Amino acid sequence: MAEFPDPDWMAAFADRVASDRELAIIGGKFDVDMGITFGERRYVLRVRQGKIEKILPAPGFDVPTQFEIRAPMELWQRFLSETPPPLYHDIFAMIMRVPEFVLEGDTLVAMQNARALHRMMGLMQKVGKEHA
Amino acid sequence: MPEFEPIVGRYLNVAIQGRNHRIYVEEAGEGIPLLCLHTAGADSRQFRHLLNDEEVTRRFRVVCFDMPRHGRSDPPDEWWLESYELKTEEYLATIEALWKGLQLDRPVVMGCSMGGAIVLRVASDFQDEIRGIIGLESAAHAPGRYNEFLLHPAVHGGELVATYTFGLNAPQSPEEGKRDNWWYYAQSGPGVYRGDVMFYSFDFDAREHVKTIDTAKCKVSLLTGSYDYSCTPAMTEKVAAAIPGCRYTEMEGMGHFPMIENYALFRQYLLPELEVMEAD
Repeated sequence: MAEFPDPDWMAAFADRVASDRELAIIGGKFDVDMGITFGERRYVLRVRQGKIEKILPAPGFDVPTQFEIRAPMELWQRFLSETPPPLYHDIFAMIMRVPEFVLEGDTLVAMQNARALHRMMGLMQKVGKEHA
Repeated sequence: MPEFEPIVGRYLNVAIQGRNHRIYVEEAGEGIPLLCLHTAGADSRQFRHLLNDEEVTRRFRVVCFDMPRHGRSDPPDEWWLESYELKTEEYLATIEALWKGLQLDRPVVMGCSMGGAIVLRVASDFQDEIRGIIGLESAAHAPGRYNEFLLHPAVHGGELVATYTFGLNAPQSPEEGKRDNWWYYAQSGPGVYRGDVMFYSFDFDAREHVKTIDTAKCKVSLLTGSYDYSCTPAMTEKVAAAIPGCRYTEMEGMGHFPMIENYALFRQYLLPELEVMEAD
């Protein structure tokens, strides 16, 4: 079983996103390059039409992104746990109440895609329940 | 026979702070008036399960209304010439105008979120005229909910506001209830949610007022969901600690929208409080 958040686990996440019926409906305009950092480990996700088209592990600074999400591993583990505790159960809860959870960059782009982004991060929780 | 629900909706014309308003009101049941206040950026549809609960409506006349600009209530005249920012005194005046306009005798006033905040002022200001309050997700002071994206021309406001608030539900709540609330939020007018959260992020502060509430005259029940990160249980506990005789219960596995996100669980917490309100 792939270990969170190694590349195989990320590939499982991308597969889960690609097969989601709701994102297929709401993600048609969800085209972003976004960074996501789990503790010390950073990826860039190339999202096109609501699907994760490419995952770039350990990207250099010459890979531009529109926005970034980063948090310590311990926090991600809470988010992905079977029953996430209050304040760690949703990305907007963490944005509001957990200072170590950081959304940065062009946050306007993130909010323009809030519905699809929120769904995608919710799907990460479902992968977490299977693999984390 | 048509399968109508027992809920009856009508429009009430009422003056609020000297301006005429056309307000949508719906109700069901008979008995002690239970006036219900919806959350920011939403409307009285959030109470549809309560309005259909016969165990409640055979003892209580449940009355819900959409705030001006919300749901099916119209904005006041020349609304397009003013930026919407709800103020505490305007909110109080609206509630008073509705309850007196409807001639509700010593109502119980129940509100959630911004409604849960303002009921604390209703209790402090009108404690001789009401039976009690039930505060859902009540905080006396709750800064930090405002952000500039809530009314931005490059953002779909309905989708953002509905999604921004979706995480306020508990993860355990049934998908249907959470999605119903998402839908209601997505239908809010531009800037209405922003104007509501400006009220309780910046204007509202009842920390001194709650100390004046006499629970011998006006009963106070407070219920807050364990997953509510907007008004956390700790925030409501502070309110409860300031009101001697107040009842407070944390609702396990519940978020910020108990009456719509998980009514089956919510009623287990609500029914005992209604019994307390009913007793003389």
